[in-house]
Amino acid sequence: MYVNFRYQAESPKSDVARRLSVLLDMATLLRGLRAAGALRGLGGVLAAPTATNPQFCRLRRGFYCAALRLQDESKSDKASSSSSSSSSTSYHEHYQAHSAQQDTAGQHHSDPAAEGTSSSADGQSEYQDEEYESEEQLQARILTAALEFVPLHGWSMEAIAAGAESLGLSSASTGMFINGSGELVLHFIADCNTKLTEILAEQHNQVQLGQAEKKKTSEFLRDAVETRLRMYIPYIETWPQAMSILLLPHNIPDSLKHLSNLVDDIWYYAGDRSTDMNWYTKRAVLTGIYNTTELVMVQDSSPDFQDTWAFLDNRIQDVVNMATTAKQVQSTGEAVVQGLMGAAVTLKNLAGLNQRR
Amino acid sequence: MAASVRTFVRSLSRKNACFAAVLRQSDCRWFTGAAEDRSTHFGFETVSEAEKASKVYKVFENVAQKYDVMNDAMSLGIHRLWKDALLHVMHPQPGARLLDVAGGTGDIAFRFLDYIRSQQEKQQRRAMSLGQTPSWRDISDGYPAGGGAPESAVVVCDINKEMLKVGRQRADSRGVTTGLSWVVGDAEELPFNDDQFDLYSIAFGIRNVTRIDQALKEALRVLKPGGRFLCLEFSKVTNPVLERLYDAYSFQVIPVLGEVIAGDWKSYQYLVESIRKFPDQEEFKGLMEDAGFFCVQYFNLTGGVVALHSGFKL
Repeated sequence: MYVNFRYQAESPKSDVARRLSVLLDMATLLRGLRAAGALRGLGGVLAAPTATNPQFCRLRRGFYCAALRLQDESKSDKASSSSSSSSSTSYHEHYQAHSAQQDTAGQHHSDPAAEGTSSSADGQSEYQDEEYESEEQLQARILTAALEFVPLHGWSMEAIAAGAESLGLSSASTGMFINGSGELVLHFIADCNTKLTEILAEQHNQVQLGQAEKKKTSEFLRDAVETRLRMYIPYIETWPQAMSILLLPHNIPDSLKHLSNLVDDIWYYAGDRSTDMNWYTKRAVLTGIYNTTELVMVQDSSPDFQDTWAFLDNRIQDVVNMATTAKQVQSTGEAVVQGLMGAAVTLKNLAGLNQRR
Repeated sequence: MAASVRTFVRSLSRKNACFAAVLRQSDCRWFTGAAEDRSTHFGFETVSEAEKASKVYKVFENVAQKYDVMNDAMSLGIHRLWKDALLHVMHPQPGARLLDVAGGTGDIAFRFLDYIRSQQEKQQRRAMSLGQTPSWRDISDGYPAGGGAPESAVVVCDINKEMLKVGRQRADSRGVTTGLSWVVGDAEELPFNDDQFDLYSIAFGIRNVTRIDQALKEALRVLKPGGRFLCLEFSKVTNPVLERLYDAYSFQVIPVLGEVIAGDWKSYQYLVESIRKFPDQEEFKGLMEDAGFFCVQYFNLTGGVVALHSGFKL
């Protein structure tokens, strides 16, 4: 179900084709979600064999009006519950509507119209629709809510408990997270990576549309790394704790995976299409730059982290210099070899060894 | 409408047991008139559902005084480790409310209060170690709070008054006065409102409940959204060698211990038989999922002798 935005950029460069492909992706996603919703609905129906169970009916009705209510809350516009279907969040409501349709043969079709406007009544129903979002989505929501409490409690189970409570769930739901602090940090990092990819894709579109200039590679890398590291600024007090959590043995595979995805994304949007050893060297170099800059950032106390960005500039400059130096060494080497060959031939001529009798 | 359907079904049940069985499976609370027709197990014998509850009540009335001693003797003290494991998995956060059902003598409740207290002490120590001398305000906040932040509390609910009496005596002797209350109630029909508790635990009690699905539904009802259901119960041993030893120990040694220590062979015969009749780990997990719990998982302790099931109300 995870739509990887990166792959959207691999579609044909033309604007129309790209938009069509986005729409197609959305359509397949909708179909997939509808199928998932149907399955979940089927499962739900099977779980309560008597569909006449009044609590279950209330649940379904409550779910639908809660879905509408969630739409309202996201736009903070309670009056327009009926017009919310026309908004940009119509995709979400489409999914709810379709899954609702398939669950109980239009059992509550007539209800939303009546109850959509009175959705504020049922506070409990907001959490009864959890069975229609998967457990992973609920866990993601709890972790996102927990991020607010990280400056207070650190990257720990207490932050997750506070996050769950802010969503209205009991603190006992932290039991779902066995590796609590690790999961919290990894969720945050995945979130940041997604945000960065979106920003880079947007910049890429701008360049495609001709609304922005194409940046030089070194400048592009510098901006990308700075954007990414700036996302840590709200949590910079507790970031050392997060880094140490990421170094725990059971978290290392996941953190390495996120890091490699990040570096790959940045190079991809920088325009790297290499297929030889360069692919590896470029990513290794950027990983080094990123990690060292992160370390400098956590102990930087200058205003707006100027020292960090200066350090980043210097490192990127080093890499550029190294690249030019490498090229120069190579061409010099070739020139020297040619010179030596010439000298050798001249000597042989002088010595008369090249004559053929 | 309910009355007419009831008579209709009664007449049918005499003619066609299968049809009645299909109806029995549905969640019909009004179908109480035919409780005598339904039978269940009491150990290895078959009794009617109405009878089972009273028989179980008598069993625990008899064993109440010697319950803790017998637990130690039968499990060689390992039951303490099982209950500690339950608390570790539970990992209650400060301010959590626990409902301990069938918790008669209060083992889980006391452990819960101890756990919460040690966590609070750890937090205070951590706050102190940050090197800040507490102001007068912080010190006065540390005194037992009247209102303010929700305090953790545990409610012990049991159907058997004798077991609760023993539990209260233990609480008095330990000097536990706050955060603990004792309620008489039936797990199939809990005397609490909806969405009251963060945690619901039932340790070695659910196999004595007549209708397990009913108890699970009640658990779902009284839990808050996000609340957790934990069940500690004897289950199927996975290792065949261990299983043979365990069976031999259960049927040869335990009733004898019961006779010698508590003077009651039959109660402990019921105990080991009821363990055999209880569904195994996967079946119970299925029952929990049917009742509406999510993220259901179980942990086998001591090779499957005891299983700890956990589910969430989401």
